[in-house]
Amino acid sequence: MSTSSNETSIQGSEHGVDITPIPLLQDIQAHGRVWTDLATQYGVTNPDPPWKITLEATCDLLAGDSCVKPYDQVAPGSCALPSLERRAEEDELSATIYEDVPFPERQLLALAHSMIKRGLVNEDELAHRMKEVEQRLNSA
Amino acid sequence: MSDHDHKPAPMVDEVSDFEILEMAVRELAIEKGLFSAEDHRVWTEYVHTLGPLPAARMVAKAWLDPEYKKLCDTDGVEASKAVGVNWVTSPPTQFGTPSDYCNLRVLVDTPTVKHVVVCTLCSCYPRPILGQSPEWYRTPNYRRRLVRWPRQVLAEFGLQLPSDVEIRVGDSNQKTRYFVMPVRPEGTEGWNEDQLTEIVTRDCLIGVAVPKPGVTSNAKRPVIKAIHPVHHGH
Repeated sequence: MSTSSNETSIQGSEHGVDITPIPLLQDIQAHGRVWTDLATQYGVTNPDPPWKITLEATCDLLAGDSCVKPYDQVAPGSCALPSLERRAEEDELSATIYEDVPFPERQLLALAHSMIKRGLVNEDELAHRMKEVEQRLNSA
Repeated sequence: MSDHDHKPAPMVDEVSDFEILEMAVRELAIEKGLFSAEDHRVWTEYVHTLGPLPAARMVAKAWLDPEYKKLCDTDGVEASKAVGVNWVTSPPTQFGTPSDYCNLRVLVDTPTVKHVVVCTLCSCYPRPILGQSPEWYRTPNYRRRLVRWPRQVLAEFGLQLPSDVEIRVGDSNQKTRYFVMPVRPEGTEGWNEDQLTEIVTRDCLIGVAVPKPGVTSNAKRPVIKAIHPVHHGH
Protein backbone atom coordinates (compact mmCIF):
# COMPACT_ATOMS: atom_id res chain seq x y z
CA MET A 1 0.00 0.00 0.00
CA SER A 2 1.41 3.36 -0.93
CA THR A 3 1.78 6.16 1.55
CA SER A 4 1.49 9.86 1.11
CA SER A 5 5.21 10.42 1.38
CA ASN A 6 5.69 8.23 -1.67
CA GLU A 7 3.22 10.09 -3.79
CA THR A 8 4.92 12.29 -6.32
CA SER A 9 2.22 13.27 -8.75
CA ILE A 10 0.04 16.20 -7.82
CA GLN A 11 -2.96 16.40 -10.05
CA GLY A 12 -5.11 19.44 -10.50
CA SER A 13 -4.06 21.27 -7.39
CA GLU A 14 -2.98 24.87 -7.52
CA HIS A 15 -2.91 25.52 -3.79
CA GLY A 16 -0.78 22.85 -2.27
CA VAL A 17 -3.25 20.09 -1.52
CA ASP A 18 -2.25 16.90 -3.26
CA ILE A 19 -5.45 15.44 -4.68
CA THR A 20 -3.84 12.21 -5.81
CA PRO A 21 -6.24 9.53 -4.57
CA ILE A 22 -5.26 7.53 -1.51
CA PRO A 23 -6.11 3.82 -1.91
CA LEU A 24 -7.36 3.33 1.65
CA LEU A 25 -9.72 6.27 1.39
CA GLN A 26 -10.76 5.28 -2.13
CA ASP A 27 -11.78 1.91 -0.75
CA ILE A 28 -13.88 3.53 1.99
CA GLN A 29 -15.40 5.84 -0.59
CA ALA A 30 -16.32 2.88 -2.77
CA HIS A 31 -17.59 0.48 -0.13
CA GLY A 32 -18.44 2.50 2.98
CA ARG A 33 -22.12 2.92 3.76
CA VAL A 34 -23.09 6.54 4.21
CA TRP A 35 -25.39 7.76 6.96
CA THR A 36 -28.29 8.66 4.68
CA ASP A 37 -28.46 5.05 3.47
CA LEU A 38 -28.09 3.57 6.93
CA ALA A 39 -30.66 5.93 8.43
CA THR A 40 -33.15 5.06 5.72
CA GLN A 41 -32.59 1.33 6.10
CA TYR A 42 -32.95 1.36 9.88
CA GLY A 43 -35.67 4.00 10.06
CA VAL A 44 -33.57 6.49 12.00
CA THR A 45 -34.61 10.12 11.74
CA ASN A 46 -31.45 11.79 13.03
CA PRO A 47 -30.12 13.68 9.98
CA ASP A 48 -26.50 13.38 11.10
CA PRO A 49 -24.39 10.36 11.99
CA PRO A 50 -23.45 10.13 15.66
CA TRP A 51 -19.78 10.64 14.84
CA LYS A 52 -20.33 14.06 13.25
CA ILE A 53 -19.80 15.95 16.50
CA THR A 54 -16.64 14.02 17.36
CA LEU A 55 -15.34 14.73 13.87
CA GLU A 56 -16.02 18.44 14.40
CA ALA A 57 -14.17 18.28 17.69
CA THR A 58 -11.20 16.56 16.06
CA CYS A 59 -11.05 19.29 13.41
CA ASP A 60 -11.30 21.97 16.10
CA LEU A 61 -8.57 20.49 18.24
CA LEU A 62 -6.22 20.04 15.30
CA ALA A 63 -6.83 23.71 14.48
CA GLY A 64 -5.97 25.06 17.93
CA ASP A 65 -6.71 28.78 17.99
CA SER A 66 -6.24 29.21 14.25
CA CYS A 67 -9.98 29.36 13.61
CA VAL A 68 -10.31 32.53 15.66
CA LYS A 69 -7.21 34.30 14.36
CA PRO A 70 -6.63 35.98 11.03
CA TYR A 71 -4.61 33.57 8.93
CA ASP A 72 -1.53 35.80 8.82
CA GLN A 73 -1.44 35.83 12.62
CA VAL A 74 -1.36 32.06 12.99
CA ALA A 75 2.15 31.17 14.09
CA PRO A 76 3.68 28.41 11.96
CA GLY A 77 3.64 25.16 13.86
CA SER A 78 1.25 26.47 16.51
CA CYS A 79 -1.32 23.87 15.57
CA ALA A 80 -1.37 20.58 13.68
CA LEU A 81 -3.75 21.65 10.93
CA PRO A 82 -4.80 25.30 10.59
CA SER A 83 -8.53 25.77 10.18
CA LEU A 84 -8.39 27.79 6.98
CA GLU A 85 -6.02 25.36 5.28
CA ARG A 86 -8.15 22.38 6.23
CA ARG A 87 -11.31 24.05 4.95
CA ALA A 88 -9.63 25.10 1.72
CA GLU A 89 -8.40 21.58 1.18
CA GLU A 90 -11.83 20.18 2.03
CA ASP A 91 -13.38 22.51 -0.54
CA GLU A 92 -10.94 21.40 -3.19
CA LEU A 93 -11.21 17.70 -2.41
CA SER A 94 -15.01 17.99 -2.25
CA ALA A 95 -15.04 19.45 -5.73
CA THR A 96 -12.73 16.78 -7.13
CA ILE A 97 -12.01 13.28 -5.89
CA TYR A 98 -14.70 13.15 -3.17
CA GLU A 99 -17.30 14.89 -5.26
CA ASP A 100 -19.74 11.98 -5.13
CA VAL A 101 -19.55 11.52 -1.36
CA PRO A 102 -22.29 13.16 0.76
CA PHE A 103 -21.65 15.40 3.76
CA PRO A 104 -20.37 14.82 6.44
CA GLU A 105 -18.69 11.66 5.12
CA ARG A 106 -16.95 13.95 2.64
CA GLN A 107 -15.60 16.14 5.44
CA LEU A 108 -14.22 13.05 7.14
CA LEU A 109 -12.52 11.73 4.01
CA ALA A 110 -11.06 15.18 3.33
CA LEU A 111 -9.71 15.44 6.87
CA ALA A 112 -8.09 11.99 6.67
CA HIS A 113 -6.73 12.89 3.22
CA SER A 114 -5.21 16.15 4.48
CA MET A 115 -3.68 14.43 7.49
CA ILE A 116 -2.12 11.68 5.38
CA LYS A 117 -0.76 14.07 2.76
CA ARG A 118 0.75 16.22 5.49
CA GLY A 119 2.33 13.24 7.18
CA LEU A 120 0.35 13.66 10.41
CA VAL A 121 -0.65 10.02 10.04
CA ASN A 122 0.33 7.55 7.38
CA GLU A 123 -1.90 5.39 5.32
CA ASP A 124 -0.60 2.05 6.56
CA GLU A 125 -0.98 2.86 10.22
CA LEU A 126 -4.44 4.25 9.58
CA ALA A 127 -5.43 1.08 7.76
CA HIS A 128 -4.03 -1.00 10.59
CA ARG A 129 -5.84 1.05 13.21
CA MET A 130 -9.09 0.80 11.30
CA LYS A 131 -8.85 -2.98 11.40
CA GLU A 132 -8.27 -2.88 15.14
CA VAL A 133 -11.20 -0.53 15.69
CA GLU A 134 -13.46 -2.65 13.51
CA GLN A 135 -12.60 -5.80 15.44
CA ARG A 136 -13.19 -4.01 18.70
CA LEU A 137 -16.54 -2.55 17.69
CA ASN A 138 -17.77 -5.84 16.28
CA SER A 139 -16.54 -8.01 19.12
CA ALA A 140 -19.65 -7.84 21.27
CA MET B 1 -42.62 -0.44 38.20
CA SER B 2 -41.25 0.08 34.76
CA ASP B 3 -43.02 0.44 31.49
CA HIS B 4 -41.86 -2.28 29.11
CA ASP B 5 -44.54 -1.69 26.54
CA HIS B 6 -42.89 1.19 24.76
CA LYS B 7 -40.95 0.50 21.60
CA PRO B 8 -37.34 1.64 21.61
CA ALA B 9 -36.42 4.24 19.03
CA PRO B 10 -34.90 2.64 15.95
CA MET B 11 -31.13 2.66 15.78
CA VAL B 12 -28.56 1.80 13.19
CA ASP B 13 -27.39 -1.67 14.10
CA GLU B 14 -24.34 -1.66 11.91
CA VAL B 15 -20.85 -0.17 12.12
CA SER B 16 -19.91 1.71 8.96
CA ASP B 17 -16.44 2.19 7.53
CA PHE B 18 -16.87 5.92 8.05
CA GLU B 19 -17.57 5.46 11.74
CA ILE B 20 -14.46 3.30 11.99
CA LEU B 21 -12.39 5.85 10.07
CA GLU B 22 -13.49 8.69 12.35
CA MET B 23 -12.49 6.72 15.41
CA ALA B 24 -9.18 5.56 13.95
CA VAL B 25 -8.17 9.09 12.92
CA ARG B 26 -9.01 10.40 16.38
CA GLU B 27 -7.16 7.64 18.21
CA LEU B 28 -4.02 8.11 16.12
CA ALA B 29 -4.12 11.87 16.59
CA ILE B 30 -4.29 11.37 20.35
CA GLU B 31 -1.47 8.82 20.34
CA LYS B 32 0.72 11.16 18.34
CA GLY B 33 0.11 13.94 20.81
CA LEU B 34 -1.76 16.22 18.42
CA PHE B 35 -4.32 16.70 21.17
CA SER B 36 -5.27 14.86 24.34
CA ALA B 37 -8.14 12.46 24.87
CA GLU B 38 -9.37 14.60 27.75
CA ASP B 39 -9.39 17.78 25.65
CA HIS B 40 -11.33 15.96 22.98
CA ARG B 41 -13.87 14.65 25.44
CA VAL B 42 -14.41 18.05 27.01
CA TRP B 43 -14.68 19.81 23.66
CA THR B 44 -17.07 17.19 22.27
CA GLU B 45 -19.34 17.55 25.28
CA TYR B 46 -19.34 21.30 24.77
CA VAL B 47 -20.13 21.05 21.06
CA HIS B 48 -22.99 18.66 21.87
CA THR B 49 -24.66 21.40 23.91
CA LEU B 50 -24.71 23.90 21.06
CA GLY B 51 -27.68 24.75 18.88
CA PRO B 52 -29.68 27.71 17.58
CA LEU B 53 -31.98 28.01 20.58
CA PRO B 54 -30.01 30.72 22.47
CA ALA B 55 -29.94 32.99 19.42
CA ALA B 56 -33.63 32.36 18.78
CA ARG B 57 -34.39 33.32 22.36
CA MET B 58 -32.35 36.50 22.01
CA VAL B 59 -34.52 37.48 19.07
CA ALA B 60 -37.73 36.68 20.94
CA LYS B 61 -36.58 38.67 23.96
CA ALA B 62 -35.68 41.62 21.76
CA TRP B 63 -39.06 41.55 20.06
CA LEU B 64 -40.66 41.89 23.50
CA ASP B 65 -38.20 44.32 25.06
CA PRO B 66 -37.03 47.41 23.13
CA GLU B 67 -34.20 48.07 25.61
CA TYR B 68 -32.85 44.56 25.15
CA LYS B 69 -33.15 44.99 21.39
CA LYS B 70 -30.91 48.06 21.65
CA LEU B 71 -28.38 46.05 23.62
CA CYS B 72 -28.41 43.31 20.96
CA ASP B 73 -27.82 45.93 18.32
CA THR B 74 -24.92 47.59 20.10
CA ASP B 75 -23.25 44.75 22.03
CA GLY B 76 -24.09 41.23 20.91
CA VAL B 77 -21.52 39.68 23.24
CA GLU B 78 -23.09 41.34 26.30
CA ALA B 79 -26.64 40.62 25.12
CA SER B 80 -25.75 36.92 24.74
CA LYS B 81 -25.33 36.62 28.49
CA ALA B 82 -29.10 36.98 28.94
CA VAL B 83 -29.55 33.63 27.19
CA GLY B 84 -26.74 31.91 29.03
CA VAL B 85 -23.96 32.32 26.47
CA ASN B 86 -20.81 33.99 27.68
CA TRP B 87 -18.46 34.27 24.71
CA VAL B 88 -15.47 34.46 27.01
CA THR B 89 -16.19 31.76 29.55
CA SER B 90 -18.71 29.36 27.97
CA PRO B 91 -16.32 27.53 25.61
CA PRO B 92 -13.88 25.24 27.45
CA THR B 93 -10.81 27.07 26.23
CA GLN B 94 -8.55 26.43 29.14
CA PHE B 95 -6.75 23.72 27.22
CA GLY B 96 -5.83 25.96 24.34
CA THR B 97 -8.40 24.88 21.81
CA PRO B 98 -10.36 27.42 19.79
CA SER B 99 -11.60 30.10 22.09
CA ASP B 100 -14.44 30.84 19.69
CA TYR B 101 -14.32 34.23 21.34
CA CYS B 102 -15.18 36.76 18.77
CA ASN B 103 -16.99 39.91 18.08
CA LEU B 104 -20.63 38.87 17.75
CA ARG B 105 -22.77 41.30 15.82
CA VAL B 106 -26.52 41.02 15.69
CA LEU B 107 -27.75 42.29 12.34
CA VAL B 108 -31.13 43.87 13.03
CA ASP B 109 -33.55 43.77 10.12
CA THR B 110 -36.09 46.49 9.48
CA PRO B 111 -39.03 46.53 7.09
CA THR B 112 -36.72 48.01 4.46
CA VAL B 113 -33.39 46.32 5.25
CA LYS B 114 -32.86 42.54 5.18
CA HIS B 115 -29.60 41.01 6.37
CA VAL B 116 -28.12 37.64 5.48
CA VAL B 117 -24.92 35.97 6.65
CA VAL B 118 -22.15 34.17 4.83
CA CYS B 119 -18.48 33.33 5.28
CA THR B 120 -16.87 33.81 1.90
CA LEU B 121 -13.50 32.60 3.17
CA CYS B 122 -14.47 29.23 4.69
CA SER B 123 -17.44 28.59 6.96
CA CYS B 124 -17.06 30.80 10.06
CA TYR B 125 -20.30 30.64 12.02
CA PRO B 126 -21.34 31.82 15.51
CA ARG B 127 -21.33 28.29 16.87
CA PRO B 128 -21.53 29.11 20.61
CA ILE B 129 -24.96 30.63 20.01
CA LEU B 130 -26.13 28.94 16.79
CA GLY B 131 -24.63 25.44 16.82
CA GLN B 132 -23.25 23.72 13.74
CA SER B 133 -23.61 25.28 10.33
CA PRO B 134 -25.77 23.52 7.73
CA GLU B 135 -24.12 21.85 4.77
CA TRP B 136 -25.24 24.42 2.21
CA TYR B 137 -23.68 27.22 4.26
CA ARG B 138 -20.28 25.57 3.81
CA THR B 139 -20.48 25.21 0.05
CA PRO B 140 -18.45 27.39 -2.34
CA ASN B 141 -21.57 27.83 -4.42
CA TYR B 142 -23.51 29.62 -1.64
CA ARG B 143 -20.44 31.52 -0.48
CA ARG B 144 -19.58 32.85 -3.90
CA ARG B 145 -23.01 33.65 -5.20
CA LEU B 146 -24.61 35.20 -2.13
CA VAL B 147 -22.29 38.19 -2.17
CA ARG B 148 -22.81 38.70 -5.89
CA TRP B 149 -26.51 38.05 -6.29
CA PRO B 150 -28.04 38.12 -2.81
CA ARG B 151 -31.57 38.86 -3.99
CA GLN B 152 -31.55 35.99 -6.44
CA VAL B 153 -29.98 33.55 -3.98
CA LEU B 154 -32.54 34.44 -1.32
CA ALA B 155 -35.27 33.86 -3.89
CA GLU B 156 -33.85 30.39 -4.45
CA PHE B 157 -34.35 29.79 -0.73
CA GLY B 158 -37.97 30.80 -1.19
CA LEU B 159 -37.50 34.30 0.16
CA GLN B 160 -38.85 36.75 -2.42
CA LEU B 161 -38.13 40.30 -1.31
CA PRO B 162 -39.73 43.43 -2.76
CA SER B 163 -37.32 45.51 -4.82
CA ASP B 164 -37.47 48.38 -2.32
CA VAL B 165 -36.01 46.18 0.43
CA GLU B 166 -32.27 46.65 0.65
CA ILE B 167 -30.21 43.50 1.22
CA ARG B 168 -27.04 43.64 3.30
CA VAL B 169 -24.68 40.67 3.50
CA GLY B 170 -22.64 40.08 6.64
CA ASP B 171 -19.38 38.32 5.70
CA SER B 172 -18.11 36.46 8.76
CA ASN B 173 -14.46 36.00 9.57
CA GLN B 174 -12.33 34.58 12.34
CA LYS B 175 -13.12 37.38 14.74
CA THR B 176 -16.47 38.79 13.73
CA ARG B 177 -19.51 36.57 13.43
CA TYR B 178 -23.09 37.46 12.83
CA PHE B 179 -26.64 36.38 13.17
CA VAL B 180 -29.76 38.06 11.91
CA MET B 181 -32.58 39.45 13.99
CA PRO B 182 -35.57 39.34 11.64
CA VAL B 183 -38.60 41.57 11.86
CA ARG B 184 -41.30 40.19 14.12
CA PRO B 185 -43.98 38.79 11.85
CA GLU B 186 -47.63 39.68 11.85
CA GLY B 187 -49.91 37.21 13.54
CA THR B 188 -47.77 36.95 16.66
CA GLU B 189 -49.48 39.65 18.70
CA GLY B 190 -49.80 38.64 22.34
CA TRP B 191 -47.35 35.76 22.02
CA ASN B 192 -44.97 35.06 24.86
CA GLU B 193 -41.21 34.55 24.65
CA ASP B 194 -41.42 30.77 24.32
CA GLN B 195 -43.94 30.97 21.51
CA LEU B 196 -41.86 33.54 19.65
CA THR B 197 -38.66 31.57 20.14
CA GLU B 198 -40.18 28.56 18.40
CA ILE B 199 -40.62 30.34 15.07
CA VAL B 200 -37.10 31.80 14.95
CA THR B 201 -35.45 28.97 13.08
CA ARG B 202 -31.79 28.52 12.24
CA ASP B 203 -32.48 29.66 8.68
CA CYS B 204 -34.13 32.84 9.98
CA LEU B 205 -31.02 33.51 12.06
CA ILE B 206 -28.76 33.08 9.03
CA GLY B 207 -31.13 35.32 7.11
CA VAL B 208 -32.25 33.04 4.30
CA ALA B 209 -35.77 32.78 5.73
CA VAL B 210 -38.12 34.97 7.72
CA PRO B 211 -40.19 33.76 10.66
CA LYS B 212 -43.79 32.80 10.11
CA PRO B 213 -46.40 31.67 12.61
CA GLY B 214 -46.69 27.90 12.36
CA VAL B 215 -43.24 27.36 10.82
CA THR B 216 -40.84 25.96 13.40
CA SER B 217 -38.37 23.96 11.32
CA ASN B 218 -35.96 24.58 8.48
CA ALA B 219 -36.88 23.63 4.95
CA LYS B 220 -34.73 21.01 3.27
CA ARG B 221 -32.30 22.87 1.06
CA PRO B 222 -30.70 21.51 -2.07
CA VAL B 223 -26.93 21.66 -2.12
CA ILE B 224 -25.71 23.18 -5.37
CA LYS B 225 -22.24 22.49 -6.66
CA ALA B 226 -19.87 25.17 -7.79
CA ILE B 227 -18.93 25.10 -11.46
CA HIS B 228 -15.51 26.67 -11.25
CA PRO B 229 -12.49 25.16 -9.52
CA VAL B 230 -11.96 26.01 -5.90
CA HIS B 231 -9.30 28.65 -5.48
CA HIS B 232 -8.02 29.68 -2.13
CA GLY B 233 -5.23 32.15 -1.69
CA HIS B 234 -4.09 32.13 1.89
